[in-house]
Amino acid sequence: MKLDKRTWFGLVLVMVVVGMVLAVAGCGGDEGTDTTLAGGKPVDGGTFNVYINEPAFIDPVNLQESEGTQVGNQLFDSLAKFDYKTGALQKAAAESWEANADATVWTFKLKDAKFHDGTKVTAADFKYAWERICNPANESEISYHLSAVKGYDAMQDGSATELEGVKALDDETLEVTLSYSFGDFEFVVGHPALAPVPKAAVEADPVAFSAKPIGNGPFMMAEPWAHDQYIKVLKFADYYGDEPHADGVNFQILTDEDTAFLEFQAGNLDFTSIPSGQVEAVKAQYGVSDDGLEVAPAKQALTGVESAIYYVLINNKNEILSNVALRQALSLAVNRQAIADSVYEGVREPATGIVPGGIAGYLDNQWAYSRYDVEAAKAKLVEAGYPNGEGLPEIILSFNSGSGHEDVMAVIQADLAAIGVTAVFDGLEWAQYLDKLQAADYMMGRLGWIADYPIIDNFLYPLFTEGGDNMSFYNDPAVAQALMDARATVDTDARIAKYQAIEKTIGEAAPVIPIVKYRHHHVGSDRVRGLVYSPQGLLNLETAWIAVAAE
Amino acid sequence: MVPVFIGVTIILFILRSPGVLGGDPVRMITGERAISETLYNQIVEKNGLDKPFYVQYYRYMSKLLQGDLGESYQKGRPVTDILLSKFPNTLKLAITAVLIEMFFGIVAGMISAIKRYSFWDVLVTFSTSVLVSLPVFWFGMLLQILFGLKFKEWGLPYLPMSQMQSDQFPQIVHLILPAVTLAAVSTAYTARIMRSQLLEVMGQDYMRTAAAKGLSGSQVIWGHGMKNALIPVITFLGLDLGAMVGGTVLTETVFSWPGVGREIYLAIGQRDWPIVMGGVVIIVFMVMVINLLVDISYAFLDPRIRYGRQAT
Repeated sequence: MKLDKRTWFGLVLVMVVVGMVLAVAGCGGDEGTDTTLAGGKPVDGGTFNVYINEPAFIDPVNLQESEGTQVGNQLFDSLAKFDYKTGALQKAAAESWEANADATVWTFKLKDAKFHDGTKVTAADFKYAWERICNPANESEISYHLSAVKGYDAMQDGSATELEGVKALDDETLEVTLSYSFGDFEFVVGHPALAPVPKAAVEADPVAFSAKPIGNGPFMMAEPWAHDQYIKVLKFADYYGDEPHADGVNFQILTDEDTAFLEFQAGNLDFTSIPSGQVEAVKAQYGVSDDGLEVAPAKQALTGVESAIYYVLINNKNEILSNVALRQALSLAVNRQAIADSVYEGVREPATGIVPGGIAGYLDNQWAYSRYDVEAAKAKLVEAGYPNGEGLPEIILSFNSGSGHEDVMAVIQADLAAIGVTAVFDGLEWAQYLDKLQAADYMMGRLGWIADYPIIDNFLYPLFTEGGDNMSFYNDPAVAQALMDARATVDTDARIAKYQAIEKTIGEAAPVIPIVKYRHHHVGSDRVRGLVYSPQGLLNLETAWIAVAAE
Repeated sequence: MVPVFIGVTIILFILRSPGVLGGDPVRMITGERAISETLYNQIVEKNGLDKPFYVQYYRYMSKLLQGDLGESYQKGRPVTDILLSKFPNTLKLAITAVLIEMFFGIVAGMISAIKRYSFWDVLVTFSTSVLVSLPVFWFGMLLQILFGLKFKEWGLPYLPMSQMQSDQFPQIVHLILPAVTLAAVSTAYTARIMRSQLLEVMGQDYMRTAAAKGLSGSQVIWGHGMKNALIPVITFLGLDLGAMVGGTVLTETVFSWPGVGREIYLAIGQRDWPIVMGGVVIIVFMVMVINLLVDISYAFLDPRIRYGRQAT
């Protein structure tokens, strides 16, 4: 085919334009950190690039979801913190603490520390921060963290402006009185949202503070939060603890997990999540971390436990499902491994109890009926008075549609059919679904539960005693009493032992059906060292480092 | 225009309004975790959720006329502030995309028409068919992988794959991939419209007359053909700018471009209805304004069209 002069001219013009565009693009070559790998010795300098979604808040007053908490955890230190791998309690802003005999009065001694603006951190700053959370005017959705503190209800209903139970005895001493015994309160105060805030800075301009919070943590805001773009933090030189190795962290706010992964592959991110469908390929390409939590060269894919569980609700108030043997049969009939493999691509693992991993005192196989055994399920069905499902009405499986729960419910439906139980779907819009749960107007449903703190209580007390979060309506006064008794136990080991026993007891009644435990599906770059992603979803950016060329 | 706006907002309000389609509206805002009764009542009162639907709508519209789109459920900040900070980014992306579409679409259409049934015509027809059938998110990712990831791997000059700015690249470079993605489908349509219009015009008597009176080929095309062929193309481009302002959701999401579309996408996932509602209201308003401007521009492009005057 003959091309005339004009066609050639046009073609050349297009090539010139494309060339110019690429030349402009070329102004950004590889100018980043030298990624030559160093040995095991920590190296100072460099900036971590971490993928997050747009947080809701990074100000402790409403620090609630994973992304905001990730950032808040770098900016603020609460009284205690949790070991990034084991969940064990550690000291943070508090130098020491003690509780009275029934765990109702807690006294915390603070370390000598400064806020990022140079002012001293005092016990009064903790009191102010906690009251700020409890003040209804601030519309905090996380005030429940402090519900055990005396005076909480009065603040919530507006009849008090201070938390009666919180006293700053002097600059270094904070005394907290609870309205009931709560041995795990020392874990509660480890939540990043319960960090101190400087009153003067907050009250000078609350909006500016929310965009550029001033904390007492290892990193400080480099500039105000660039919404939907990035959050940049820098090492805080006057940090009371060990100075971070990295100069800073650039939290890159991206919307799409696939795009973030491409950025990671291009070397522009040090930490990201693995998009669905690519877990196995990433594990093969980058290697799998030994413990699933720490990134190491060629062992970069993280598949460790998360402190979260996905479970099927059973309405214990329902006339038919109040039958314990029937609930046990239903629980035994569910093939959790099939759900983990087929629905979640092996990223989650079958749940053997209601408490997931990453929790202090976690034990496997705590619930006797949280396993797959079709024959045992059939036997239980006979015991329940419905041999082969005869005489049993249709079970209605309710769920909020459109979030992939249909797939889980489809497996469960088939599993129940295998023992002769007919189940039908009832997919609902989220708000309607929650309405049904609250009103106990359902038979079986689904929910997920994520730990606020790595304690067993977090999975037992809210879910199995009377209260707004107990949607299965399980109610056993003996268990409630045992939980109160455990809460009143100050000795940590003794307390954990009591909780373990209670978990087992609750499992006997099969009040819900634990389905799968969540696992990480994340990957770190080959230039990071010592980077741990905890079961609570927090990164230890203050102690990890970036390997750069050895001098 | 006003009845259309009211109609659209009523439909949106019915769809977005927590509680209108059933379910506890406060739960919709706060999620599954139990909250205190005080906070519950406070949310009800603040958002007027205990009021009948028409009262809620009246309150929303009165505030809307004062430029107040309410407060984000999730972020606790005014929706107007959130969206206005994003709107220039969306506009930037849409205008760049239209410029790309205009240049490449018209050029491709012209070449295709003038060189009818040639290799170039076939190439344009084939490539426009491919572009029209490509899903936006897939095409966007393809560009990201090629120009962002692979070019970098091959040691070639590469382009940024996401976000609006970085220390490494100026903003205009960040704009390239999302704008090309957004423009792709429309460029194909523009090329096709341009081709068919020019072919139609080239068959007209006045074109033969122009050639017969001794004008050169390019003089005939540029002086007589293009003027007439461009009218429908420009109409399409104008309308498309409106469509692009509203159609950036996928492109902005794939490229993490901080615009109104991405904000709406995120808000839908978080059930942050004031943002969804506000975002759609702004887009509807923009599309209506652009459509109005396009209608008015007809009068300038085609002298036979006049508004507001009786024919005599």
